Amino acid sequence: MLQLDNVTVRFGGVIAVNGLSLSIATDEVTGLVGPNGAGKTTLFNAISGLARPSAGRIVFNSVDVLKAPVYRRARLGLGRTFQVPQPLSRLTVHENLLVAQRFATGSIDESRLREILAFVGLTEKAGRDATTELALSELKALEVGKALATNPKLLLLDEVLAGLETVGKRRFMQMLKDMHAKFGVGILIIEHDIETISNLCKRVAVLNFGELIADGTPEDVFRNPAVIKSYTGADHA
Amino acid sequence: MTELILQAIYSGLLQGGSYALIALGLAVVFGTMKVINLAHGELVLLAAYVAYAVESAFEVSPIVAIPVALLVVCVSAVLVYFLVDRIQKDRELNSLILTYGIGVMLTNAVLLIWKADIRSTKSAWLQDAVVIGPFYSMRSELGFFVLSLVLMGLLWWWLSKSWYGRAVRAVASNRDAAKLMGINPRTTEIVSFVVAGILAAFAGVALYSYGVIQPPLGHALTVKAFIITVLAGVGSIPGVLAGALLLGVVEALTVTLLSSALQEIAGMGLFLLVLFLMPNGLFGTVARRG
Repeated sequence: MLQLDNVTVRFGGVIAVNGLSLSIATDEVTGLVGPNGAGKTTLFNAISGLARPSAGRIVFNSVDVLKAPVYRRARLGLGRTFQVPQPLSRLTVHENLLVAQRFATGSIDESRLREILAFVGLTEKAGRDATTELALSELKALEVGKALATNPKLLLLDEVLAGLETVGKRRFMQMLKDMHAKFGVGILIIEHDIETISNLCKRVAVLNFGELIADGTPEDVFRNPAVIKSYTGADHA
Repeated sequence: MTELILQAIYSGLLQGGSYALIALGLAVVFGTMKVINLAHGELVLLAAYVAYAVESAFEVSPIVAIPVALLVVCVSAVLVYFLVDRIQKDRELNSLILTYGIGVMLTNAVLLIWKADIRSTKSAWLQDAVVIGPFYSMRSELGFFVLSLVLMGLLWWWLSKSWYGRAVRAVASNRDAAKLMGINPRTTEIVSFVVAGILAAFAGVALYSYGVIQPPLGHALTVKAFIITVLAGVGSIPGVLAGALLLGVVEALTVTLLSSALQEIAGMGLFLLVLFLMPNGLFGTVARRG
């Protein structure tokens, strides 16, 4: 369980996340949506340790991680992907996963790495250079594969489907569903596409101006007047 | 004349081995911390003077001083790291000022302890001539060139195959992504400073074993290491070796054909020429974005 209590993140005078409290289960897929600039990625940064909250508490599986550095949160099971894939250059696809597994878990399990490579569809590309020889969809798959190699209990996926064409997006969405079932990993996903969120998630949290404005099932949330107003700027009840 | 030119090229190549070790140390630290350690040449200088001190005090070969130089320079390198690590804001820029200051202090410490006189080894064995075909060199020149190739091979193996080597490459590639993979960047940064210290220690003892040393040498070595990493395009060991050999040859040819007074300017001219014609360096690649 990830527990956020009254988390606030400021950048100078700008409040990106404002006193946000939220619980995320590690056994389900939760969506995080909101208009551009709502504070979604900043919240991911605060959870993963890349941004430091000015107030609040972040507890992951009963451990207060607010002051824990990023690498320690990764070792505790908080995985994270970026919207723009961040492969390690001059390392092969296999080495990217190998390094992630070795440093996050402290050991190497080649059979699990092969399983992850096959699952994300990169077995054939295992020996290729991660930055120069992969297409965008493969880079996105590598991003998920790297995170899986850290043996996460909760995976934060930041617009992992962005930039993919329709067929690739459907295939990727199915992969995420299977991942939750196969690896038993909880998912918190930022996504703009309502169809994707409705398809993947049983629960959705909505941010606007750094505050939580709705939290519930996709059906309830996307009918919520406050949510509609946050996207359109007008009431459409 | 041809013989002179060929001999200059040979001597330049041998000199390039030590330059490569110094430049690789600078490049490893820059890779992990994005910090240009302007005190790196002074660490090499420190190793050279440790070799001189051990030779003078115990009347032994400077080679015997290598373990002492390793200890002194690695401890100094880690101290430099802890000072750089204390910079909270604009580390890339402020570290230039800090490491430049550390370099000045180290040079002055060397001046204070060992005075400004030019020093060179008294070991006749190290200075004995080795003749290979038409080429002459000192035994120490050839020996340390071979040793520098071995050290570069070991560095390549370490970066490619060892866990901490891979962690250093991961942090150099993408710091945030590396942290999310469970890598502690501070540990890899300390390790990279120690590796730079090891390379600097060997290079320093090498320079003392076949050349002359004096306190201002440290600053000149930092400049040379910087030129080589730019020539190579940071990130490749063969590239740094090629850049170092090229600088060594250009310097040696300048001394032979023109004047020893132009040696430093020759390196700078090469640097500006490469910057103008090949901004990514001789072996650098343009990074892919997006």
